[in-house]
Amino acid sequence: MAAPLVLVVLAAVTVRAALYRSSLAAFIAERVEAASPLNAWKRVVEGLALLDLGVSPYSGAVFHETPLIIYLFHFLIEYAELVFMITDVLTAVALYLAIQDFNKVVFKKQKLLIELDKYAPDVAELIQTPMEMHYIPLKVAVWYLLNPYTVMSCVAKSTCAINNSVIAFFILATIKGSAFLSAVFLALATYQSLYPLTLFAPALLYLLQRQFIPIKLKSKSFWLYTMQYASLYLCSLVVIICLSFFLLNSWDFIPSVYGFILSVPDLTPNIGLFWYFFAEMFEHFSLFFVCVFQINVFFYTIPLAIKLKDHPVFFMFVQLAIISVFKSYPTVGDVALYMAFLPVWSHLYRFLRNIFILSCVLIFCSFLFPVLWHLWIYAGSANSNFYYAITLTFNIGQILLISDYFYAFLRREYYLTHGLHLTRQDGTEAMLVLK
Amino acid sequence: VCTSRFWFNYRHVANTLSVYRSVKRLGIPDSHIVLMLADDMACNPRNPKPATVFSHKNMELNVYGDDVEVDYRSYEVTVENFLRVLTGRIPPSTPRSKRLLSDDRSNILIYMTGHGGNGFLKFQDSEEITNVELADAFEQMWQKRRYNELLFIIDTCQGASMYERFYSPNIMALASSQVGEDSLSHQPDLAIGVHLMDRYTFYVLEFLEEIHPASQTNMNDLFQVCPKSLCVSTPGHRTDLFQRDPQNVLITDFFGSVRKVEITTETLSLDRDAAGFESKFPEEELATEPLKYAEQLPVAQIIHQKPKQKDWHPPGGFILGLWALIIMVFFKTYGIKHMKHVF
Repeated sequence: MAAPLVLVVLAAVTVRAALYRSSLAAFIAERVEAASPLNAWKRVVEGLALLDLGVSPYSGAVFHETPLIIYLFHFLIEYAELVFMITDVLTAVALYLAIQDFNKVVFKKQKLLIELDKYAPDVAELIQTPMEMHYIPLKVAVWYLLNPYTVMSCVAKSTCAINNSVIAFFILATIKGSAFLSAVFLALATYQSLYPLTLFAPALLYLLQRQFIPIKLKSKSFWLYTMQYASLYLCSLVVIICLSFFLLNSWDFIPSVYGFILSVPDLTPNIGLFWYFFAEMFEHFSLFFVCVFQINVFFYTIPLAIKLKDHPVFFMFVQLAIISVFKSYPTVGDVALYMAFLPVWSHLYRFLRNIFILSCVLIFCSFLFPVLWHLWIYAGSANSNFYYAITLTFNIGQILLISDYFYAFLRREYYLTHGLHLTRQDGTEAMLVLK
Repeated sequence: VCTSRFWFNYRHVANTLSVYRSVKRLGIPDSHIVLMLADDMACNPRNPKPATVFSHKNMELNVYGDDVEVDYRSYEVTVENFLRVLTGRIPPSTPRSKRLLSDDRSNILIYMTGHGGNGFLKFQDSEEITNVELADAFEQMWQKRRYNELLFIIDTCQGASMYERFYSPNIMALASSQVGEDSLSHQPDLAIGVHLMDRYTFYVLEFLEEIHPASQTNMNDLFQVCPKSLCVSTPGHRTDLFQRDPQNVLITDFFGSVRKVEITTETLSLDRDAAGFESKFPEEELATEPLKYAEQLPVAQIIHQKPKQKDWHPPGGFILGLWALIIMVFFKTYGIKHMKHVF
């Protein structure tokens, strides 16, 4: 499997290098879909320039990256393109290894459940075979590397790629079972953008499952492990934040990074939902709605944890998707990360109901983004409503995609345990509905 | 100021030109008059008698003679320009004829006519000036010492509402009608086809025709012009802000340019070194060395360049801490026993 992966990596690197050398690089770098105020490359350069001039980069609302990024790019700024290409490759490799391990786990679990006779007799066609699972890791790597969204994000040199790579390493560490590493990487991811905090729950569930600790609220070992993991995570987070203090000897970065993410002061249009609302809102209500919107991101964790406690990796996928839809400054890089996971659930294809429409919606919206941006900003014949309509449609498409996969997943699980041909009490064919 | 456009508002232009004519006749030169006419009636294509603006039927009085100098014409008559003229906040490129170059000894007459309502006057059929704005503009003028005394005459419907809000001292105001009343026009001329003048201004013009530069008529007489029987509306006036008694205020104080001249037979000698002539340019405070030629080139600066700004480097403690953490994580995951393979 290494050879095809290397080939894919080479292809991806070539594509990115070609785009870097072409004139599209400058154009893509300033697209708002690829670069948000949080992770635009222009702002990183600006912050480092301010630092060379002796001014704190956090004074003024230009730079919103963490001090570790300052440290990273301080030495690597001339090789920025290489850095981003390597980051993408690392992400893809991490995802590849993670999904490889995950497949082994899935297969083992499946075998166990078959032997325990937990499955209904007529579900032979639903069971995943090693043959079809063999190519999934490669497909994941391909989906991540050659996804136009990833390529755009990489060419735009948005630090979202670094965030993606940290999350990918976190997933790898979780699936390999190392609680310590997974806590460290999760702390790094949370440190950079606040939202991976919600990935704590699926990681915890996966590690508990791996240690065969049953998830009962009364069980002592459950709480013990949870406490261990939580303390690892929090300690590493605190250590990293304190370490960042010593970079510039100030706590300036906390309001600039976390305050910025949470209070959403910059209303530059992006592919998210926040900017339009807050541009139209009265000052009086903005605090309330900021709280509502931010709670919305974190809100789905607990219900999903209850529903999907036996399938933590799927939970992680859904959580990643929710983060990238509802976060305050999403970019296409975030979308690319969770889309990389779609081949893992390719066995759900027969249960997906709206996949054609949704893929059409997503593709059309992606093409319409630059068109309507041009119409609004340059031609002046449209206005922000047009762009927001496309943003809204894009996000609706994403949400429907997630909910479609969710439904398909749960349906497959139900069929596995209850048999494919469901009958109602009177013997007629029944249909599963997600309530 | 005439604020109305269109042919059927002929009478407003005629009003303004009548007052202009009287004022010029009584001695105020064009350099001291700012005339704002929102439309050109004399050269209007609908004027059957081109180059004339008549103020009385039977064409007895052409108020548009040879020496009418209009300062703000047509679309230049806007609320903004009017307020800028009053307050003096004018762009530096404005010619003198368009400025109100008054000081604190000037008596100013402001005559406005057009269409108005309760608290506003309509400019050009598209914007209004309110009585509050006008009062504030007059207050600015007072604070900038741009007038000594001000006479404000307005001939519009509900004109009295325009002077209700004044609060600056030394303002006297006259209006052609009270709040709730309309000012009516005088006579239509069938040859020209429009009303030629408004009643109030017509009777004021009649009154002013009898004034000459030496007349001693005072303001009280002006208040009596156009009683209700002739004007149908009730003219109003406001004198509470004015410090002198209107009885003692001559018409020519505002409408004419009458100067008080005292003739003396004594001789005054002007001394050459009188009262200590102060130098306008104070001595330089800094003691500068006389520059020699060789020192005028900043050679010293060129040779000893300023050191290049040092780039920022992350502090040593940070780097140490970061790498220590990374190494700790590495060894925690892979175990200490691998260390012995390293060494």
